[in-house]
Amino acid sequence: MNSKNIKTRLLSLLSISGLVAGVVVGVPSSAQAADPQCATANFVTSCAGTTSDSALYTMVAPANFNGTVLIWSHGLRPNIDIPAGIPKFGGYTVNKAAEFAPGLSDGDLTTLNALIAKGYGVAGSGFSRQGINVTEAVAANVELIAAFKKQFPTTKKVVAWGGSLGTQITQTLTELHPELVDAAVLGCPATAPGAAMIKYFGDFMWAFKTLFDPSIKGFGYSEGAAGRAEAYLDMQKFFVALSKVSAGTVSGAWPDTSSAAGKALEAAGVPSRSAMTLIALIAGVPLRSEHVDGNASPVGLETAFELGYMPAIAATENGATVGLASILLMQDGETQAGGIVFDNKATDYAALVEEDRDIYSAALGGNTPADAILGVLAASPRVTGSATAMAKVSKLLPITGKINVPTVLLTAESDQFTVAGTAQFLIDSYKVQYAAVKTAAMNASKKSRVYTAPVSKLLPLWEKTAENYTVFSGSSPDLTKPAGRGTGHCLFTSKQWLVAADLAIAAANKGSFGQSGTVATTARKVGLSSDSKFRVPVMRGLQG
Amino acid sequence: MQINRRKLISASAVMAAVALAASVIPAQAAGEVGVTKTSIKFGMTSPKTGAAAPGYEKIPGAVKAYFDYVNDNGGINGRKLSLVHRDDQYVPATAVQNAIKLINTDKVFALLGTLGTASTKAIVGPAGPATVYKVPTLYVNTGFSGFADKKKYPNTITLLPSYVMEAKVIAKYIKDKYPNKKIGIVYQDDDFGKDALTGFKTAGLKFDVSVPYASLSQGVATVPPTWIQKLKTGGAEVVVMFGVSSATTALLGTAYALSYKPQWILASIGGDATTIASSKKIPVSFMAGAKGLSFAPSPNDSKDEYIAKFMEINAKYNPGVAFDNNIVAGMTTAFLTAQAVKAAGTNLTRKSIVAAIEKSGSTFANPALAPLGYSTSSHVGATGYWVGTYDATGGLDPDDNKYTVYTTDSGSAPVVVSTYKRPAMPEKGLPK
Repeated sequence: MNSKNIKTRLLSLLSISGLVAGVVVGVPSSAQAADPQCATANFVTSCAGTTSDSALYTMVAPANFNGTVLIWSHGLRPNIDIPAGIPKFGGYTVNKAAEFAPGLSDGDLTTLNALIAKGYGVAGSGFSRQGINVTEAVAANVELIAAFKKQFPTTKKVVAWGGSLGTQITQTLTELHPELVDAAVLGCPATAPGAAMIKYFGDFMWAFKTLFDPSIKGFGYSEGAAGRAEAYLDMQKFFVALSKVSAGTVSGAWPDTSSAAGKALEAAGVPSRSAMTLIALIAGVPLRSEHVDGNASPVGLETAFELGYMPAIAATENGATVGLASILLMQDGETQAGGIVFDNKATDYAALVEEDRDIYSAALGGNTPADAILGVLAASPRVTGSATAMAKVSKLLPITGKINVPTVLLTAESDQFTVAGTAQFLIDSYKVQYAAVKTAAMNASKKSRVYTAPVSKLLPLWEKTAENYTVFSGSSPDLTKPAGRGTGHCLFTSKQWLVAADLAIAAANKGSFGQSGTVATTARKVGLSSDSKFRVPVMRGLQG
Repeated sequence: MQINRRKLISASAVMAAVALAASVIPAQAAGEVGVTKTSIKFGMTSPKTGAAAPGYEKIPGAVKAYFDYVNDNGGINGRKLSLVHRDDQYVPATAVQNAIKLINTDKVFALLGTLGTASTKAIVGPAGPATVYKVPTLYVNTGFSGFADKKKYPNTITLLPSYVMEAKVIAKYIKDKYPNKKIGIVYQDDDFGKDALTGFKTAGLKFDVSVPYASLSQGVATVPPTWIQKLKTGGAEVVVMFGVSSATTALLGTAYALSYKPQWILASIGGDATTIASSKKIPVSFMAGAKGLSFAPSPNDSKDEYIAKFMEINAKYNPGVAFDNNIVAGMTTAFLTAQAVKAAGTNLTRKSIVAAIEKSGSTFANPALAPLGYSTSSHVGATGYWVGTYDATGGLDPDDNKYTVYTTDSGSAPVVVSTYKRPAMPEKGLPK
C-alpha cells in the first residue's frame, strides 16, 4: 500500500504514454481465454490474459528478449471499496488491474521502460482477490510464469519481485516453488510471519482506541456488509481522533472522544503527545517520519522541541498509515479467518518499552506520565483472539523466512507500514540458515578434502534515514515538502529498483551478487547501503 | 569458491612467516579502524549548543587540550591522539546520527564521554550504533547505574559514580547531620531521578515532600512557584535537588524570590557553579551554604597535584577557557583514555582497549578520590563522593577542610568512609 491515493494512481496508469503504454493499451482488456491475447507494436509484444481463478495478468517482452523475465507482485490493495472522504484511500474501489512493474501504480513508466530497453521481459498479475491475498497471488504467479514461458519459449531465468505485501507473495513463492524462481527482489519487505505483522498493527490500534476513542471497534468486525460499515465508521473515527491528537500536540489536550481513563490522564496533567509517543513505542512505529527527522526545531524552541514534541509529531504522521492499515487488515483478516486474529491478553506493554522509554523520556513527559499511561493500558480490557482464526491468518501470511534463491532485500530504515524490523527478521533468519549450510559444507569437506564456501543468498540494501530533512512552516513541520530519504513506505526511486533488479538478475545468472566492493559502490550511487553490519530492531512481535 | 587443503597449508605457512615478520615491527597497526602507525582517532558526541550546553560545551575542548599535551610529549606508543567532536544539543536522535557519522564517516576507533543518559542509551542500547558496529564507548558522562551492567553493555565503560551511589551518600549524610529534620526532594522524573530514588530507598531515607519534574527541564527557564509552595507547605527544612543545572538554577532563583531558605543539598550533576554562573540567571552567591558532592577534588584546589597539572595544561592548550569541573571531567576522560591506550599495547584493537581497562583500569592514575571499580566483571567507574559546602563564589569546599570520601556501590552495600589511597600523579602527567 502506498501513501498516495490509489484511485489517482490508477487513473494515471490508464493515461500513461511511452514505449510500452501504446502497446498495453492496444491489448484487449477482456481476455478470458486460457491463452493470452497478444499484440506487438514498436518491437514490443504485450499480452493480457487471465489465470484459472480469473486473475488478470499482463506480460511484456521486447523483440530482443534476453531470456530473463521479472514477475512483479503488487502491494496491498484494499479488498473493500473506501468511501470518499477517508484520508489516503477515499473513493477507492476494489481494483484487480494487472500491475507488472514498480512505479506503474504511480503512473511512472521509468523502471518498466528501462527493463524493456535492456531486453528483459516483465509480467505481473492483478490477482483474483485483494486484501490479504498471498494464497491467491502465489497461485496466480505460478500460472503466470508458465504462461510467460509458453508465450516466450526462450525464457531462461525468472526473477520474482514485489513491493510491500507483494514481498510476502514473492517470498512465499520462492519458499514453496524454488524451482520456478532463480532470484528475487523484496522491496519495502513485509517479510515477517503473519502473527508478528498482525501484532504490529493490532497493538497500535488497540492502544490508540483504548486511550483516544474507545468507540472505535478495531477488532471483531461483523460479517459482510455490516462489517464493512463498521470498518468505514472506524476509519472516520480514527482520523477524527488522530487529527485532534495532532491539534493538541503542543497544548497537550486530549481528543474529546478519549476514554474515561484517557480523560483522567489528561486531568492529571499527562499530555496527549506523551500517550501518542508511547503508543508508537509499544507497537514499534518509527519515530522518524516522512517530514519529521527528529533533529530539528523551529527557531527559538531548540532542544525542547526535538526532545518533547518531535517524536509525537512523527508518531502521528506515521500513525495515520498504521491505524488505517490496521482497520483494513483486521477487517479482511477476520473475514477470511472467521474470527478475531489479534490477541493481546498476555502482552506486557511495559516490558516492550523498557529500553526505549528512557531514550524518549522527555517526549513521554517523564516516568510518572509514562507509568500512568502504561498503568491504564495494563488495566484496560484486552482483545481475545480466536485460536482458530489466528492459526488461519498465519497461513494466509505464511512465510517462514527460508531463503531458497538469491534475494535482494530493499528496505527503508523508517518505513512506517512495513517496518524495517521485518527485513531484520529475514536477515537474522538467514544468518542461522547460512551457518547451517556452512557447517554442512565444512563437514562435507572432511570427506572430500575440498571445502566449497557457500555463497550468501541474501543481499540487504538499506536506504538509511537522512539526518536532516524537516522543513518548518511556522512552528510545524511542512507536510507538503518531499519525504526524507529512508522514510515512508515504498518510496524507492526507479534507479533504486533497477539496481536491485540488476543485482538479482546477476545472481540469477552467475550465482552471486558480485564482489562486495562493486555491490557497495553500485548501491551507494543510488543512495543505498549494503552495509552488512547495519541492523535495526526486529519487530516487537518477534522480540525475545 | 573452492579452497584445496594443500593450498590452505601453504597459505598457513606464508601467513606464519608474515606474522613472524610483523612481530618485530614496532607499533604496527593491526588494521583496526581509526588506528594507524602514528595516530588514534576518537569520537565524541555531546552538547556544544542548545539549552543543555552551558558548562558541558567545555568538555570536548578539555579532552583535546590533554590530547594535545600528550602529543607534544610524543603521543602514546608512538601514536598521536585526536578527537572528532560533534554537537548533539543533548537530543538523543541527534546523538545517534552523530555516533553513526563518527563511526562510519569519521572512522573513529572508539567513542568517548557521550553525555546524558538518554543519548548514551540510544547510542549503546541494543540497536544503537555503538552496539551494531561493536565500537567501545569509553568513560560515558552519565551516572546511570545501568551502564555498569557489563552483560547488557559489554563495550561501555562508565566513569562517574552512579546516581544510586550518590543518593546513598546523600542519605547517609542527611541521617548523620540532619536527624529529625523534615526532608524534601526535587528530582528529574526519568532514569536519572529513578536511579536517585532507588539509592534513597536502599539507604532507607524517606522524604516528607517530593516534587518530580518532567525531564524536558534541560530547557526549563523558570520553576513554577507551586514547587516551592509544596516544599514550604510540607515544612521541608532540608531539600535535596537531584536535577540538572538549568533546573537547579531555576529552583534556587524561585526559592530566593519567595524567601524560602531551606538547607539545600545539590546533587553533583546540577550543582556545577560555573554552569550556573554562565547561565546568568542567578548570582552564584545563591548557592552559598548549600551542600554539594563531588568525586574529584574541587577545581579550586590548586594544591591538589592533579588539579594543578590540569590547570597548567588548560592554560597552555585551552587558553582563555575558565578552569572548572567540566574541564576536570574532560581532562580526566582524556587522561584515563591515554592510560587505557598505553595499557592496551602496540597492537591496539577495540577489544584490547576494553580488555585493558578491565584488567588494569582500576589502577589508572586519575583525580577521583574514590576508587575505580573496573575489573573483568565490572565496568563501574568511580565509587564514591565527598560532601562539601558552597561558598559565595560558588566554590565547593570540603567540610572541615578535608576530603572525607564516602564509598559504596549501586546495590545494597553500606556507605562507608573510604580508606582509598589515590595513585600519585605520574611524572609530567603522562601515562607511565
